[in-house]
Amino acid sequence: MTGKSTMDSWARFTPQQRMKRYGSFFVLALTVAWALRSIDVIWEWVWDAPIQLFDLFDRMVPPDPTNLPSILEAIWQTINIATIATFIAVFLSLPVAYIAAQNTTPNRITLWIGRFILVSSRSVNTIIWALLFVAIFGPGIIAGIIAIMFRSIGFLGKLLGEAIEEINPEPIEALEACGASRFKVVLYGIVPQVMPAFFAISILRWDINLRESTVLGLVGAGGIGIILQGAIDTFQWQEVSMVLLTILALVIVGEVISTTLRKKIL
Amino acid sequence: MLEIKKLVKRYGKGSPVLQDLDLVVQGEQVMSIIGSSGAGKSTLLRCVNRLVEPTSGSITLNGTDFTTLSSRELRSARRRVGMVFQGYNLVDRLTVMENVQSGRLGYISTWAALTRRFPKEDIQRAYELMERVGIAQYASKRADELSGGERQRVGVVRALMQRPEILLADEPTASLDPKTSEQIMALLRDLASELNLPVIINIHNVNEAKEYSDRIVGMRYGRIIFDDVPSALDTAQMDEIYSGTPSEDREAQGAMA
Amino acid sequence: MTAHPDRWRKPHMIESPLLRYALYFGILAYLVLTIATLPIDWLRAAEGLERAGRIFNGAFPPSFDRSELLISGFLESLKIAIIASTGGMLLSIPLAFMAASNISPKPIYYLGRGTIIIARSFHPVIVAIIFVKAVGFGPLAGALTLIVYSIGFVAKLLAERIEEIDFGQVEAVRAAGAPFLSTVFYTIFPQIMPRMIGLGIYQLDSNLRASAVVGIVGAGGIGSTLANAFGRYDYDFALAITMVIVGAILISEAVSGVIRKRLL
Repeated sequence: MTGKSTMDSWARFTPQQRMKRYGSFFVLALTVAWALRSIDVIWEWVWDAPIQLFDLFDRMVPPDPTNLPSILEAIWQTINIATIATFIAVFLSLPVAYIAAQNTTPNRITLWIGRFILVSSRSVNTIIWALLFVAIFGPGIIAGIIAIMFRSIGFLGKLLGEAIEEINPEPIEALEACGASRFKVVLYGIVPQVMPAFFAISILRWDINLRESTVLGLVGAGGIGIILQGAIDTFQWQEVSMVLLTILALVIVGEVISTTLRKKIL
Repeated sequence: MLEIKKLVKRYGKGSPVLQDLDLVVQGEQVMSIIGSSGAGKSTLLRCVNRLVEPTSGSITLNGTDFTTLSSRELRSARRRVGMVFQGYNLVDRLTVMENVQSGRLGYISTWAALTRRFPKEDIQRAYELMERVGIAQYASKRADELSGGERQRVGVVRALMQRPEILLADEPTASLDPKTSEQIMALLRDLASELNLPVIINIHNVNEAKEYSDRIVGMRYGRIIFDDVPSALDTAQMDEIYSGTPSEDREAQGAMA
Repeated sequence: MTAHPDRWRKPHMIESPLLRYALYFGILAYLVLTIATLPIDWLRAAEGLERAGRIFNGAFPPSFDRSELLISGFLESLKIAIIASTGGMLLSIPLAFMAASNISPKPIYYLGRGTIIIARSFHPVIVAIIFVKAVGFGPLAGALTLIVYSIGFVAKLLAERIEEIDFGQVEAVRAAGAPFLSTVFYTIFPQIMPRMIGLGIYQLDSNLRASAVVGIVGAGGIGSTLANAFGRYDYDFALAITMVIVGAILISEAVSGVIRKRLL
């Protein structure tokens, strides 16, 4: 006959686990505290910040549509930069993805070359590329288009390369057994398998590039950024908010288009 | 005629998967290879068209020694060997017609392959073969819309489109239900006689092997230990081939206990 | 024997030929028109190669002379990233709950979703410029910018995760009479915790990259150092800074990937 149970306590974690959890929390809190304390910030300004933000916001309302025609033209240019750059980058990324994928690369050297291209392209932000190309080609949309291209190749190539590595190798084996050349094996065995991923990745990158193109003008590489920078520099806050509204509309429409297209692919 | 002489396949430094194998396959016959898993059946078949590289030995098909070919010559020679796979190995997103025509990729131009403008004779022959095996109505359907048995028929037609001199089938029925399995085996047997084609089939199910083949080859640990007509395969022989395999597993493999 | 057909065409992805050709024509027309009307200064572009040569010559070898500047810039970026990630995560949690359709009432849901959409739609550089104008140059603007950036990303994904939870657990605990917060902590938090931690680590990495960029418009961190170097034509220093940025990003990406694999 059972008497009263002697177990009157329950804890989810063992003492060691608890130590570990408290320990990690402690380390995390310490890091954040270090960051907050040593950062070069005048704390009075921090508490002042909300007031400043509201003040700025106040000056931006209502948005001023007088310059709308040139704003819209710049938006059109921004769309073109993003679209054309993505289009070209998609083609350029195909060979890079091919040699960066472990199952299709001809040899180890090409694998490392492919990986190197992808990593360098991805690690340098679009804006930094833009800075470089503005210095080379001068201000204008050519710098912008090439900057977007360079950054996109890394993104596209990496995801496409991963898609290539994930294909089912069985059809490839069958095609080789039929005596098809390497090109035909790729055409019939690899291309159909990565097609859905290819479209999804390209459309995704186009959507991201739309956003990136809006700021190219801030470093002189074309698009709506130029008008935005101009309005900010001349303190025309109501024009600034107008520009921001058009950018918001552009990005939202772009995302809707991109999500719908990608849904249709699946 | 397929002539295999002293074929050896060794992976790394371990014991060889295929040991000093000799085999001759002549004229029109259906030959089944049986043996427990790991006996080397699949490796043997894949050595014929060098999907697996032999370590030593020679494999001669109607006068051509496959083991000495360069990669270009090998591609050319592979057109003469048709292969049917356990997993069907079709390109799922392509249509049945494209899958079937991919058997001709070794013959058609790159442009034709790219634009899917297949030669007229090839299209006609494709329809002929597809009707023979009963899938002509699926020509424009995607391969992954078909059932397992239908997909394997696509695989068979693809192999036959090559106009091969020999047909290899690696466990063609392992993924199919018993009824469909028998249909495919019957199909292979009938096609062998209609097209005057030697057919080599790797198979687990010994009953089916006995029923549909003219000759049975039993392998064990990389060697051929039985090579005779199906009626000569008795319990003693099967114990030899499958020895070391517990009887329950043998039941599962369809062998008679 | 019936004659077999000798022609076969692959069925097209877009069935209606009208739609298909309209699409092809539209794309072609777009490409031709826009490429033809692109305002490109070809002369300046041609000179570009020569200028590129000069820049690359000036950039090699990279100069690490002013490494204290480099290190302090990098540390500042790191601090901005840490603060922004923490602040962003803390703010994202309530926002994500607001933006989850299975938890919050319609008006709050729209408010939540709207806030997230606005936070996401603007490139962090734009947000940085606004903050710089509002609170001045320096890391404060950078931290605020990246908090917004983090919210846009984390709150959205967290809200989606909340919408995917097993609601049965919530109902069971609620039926037992538990108050709202207790229900949240007992049934919802455990389900979203792994995703939250994963997002947090990913966002730390992401903020480190982004802090390099927002610095270019004056929001502190190594980006400011880089912009200054470019402005002064110190291309060798700029290359050194870029190499450090790339190196930091690679290390951070690797570390973040390893931690996420081990924890989740």
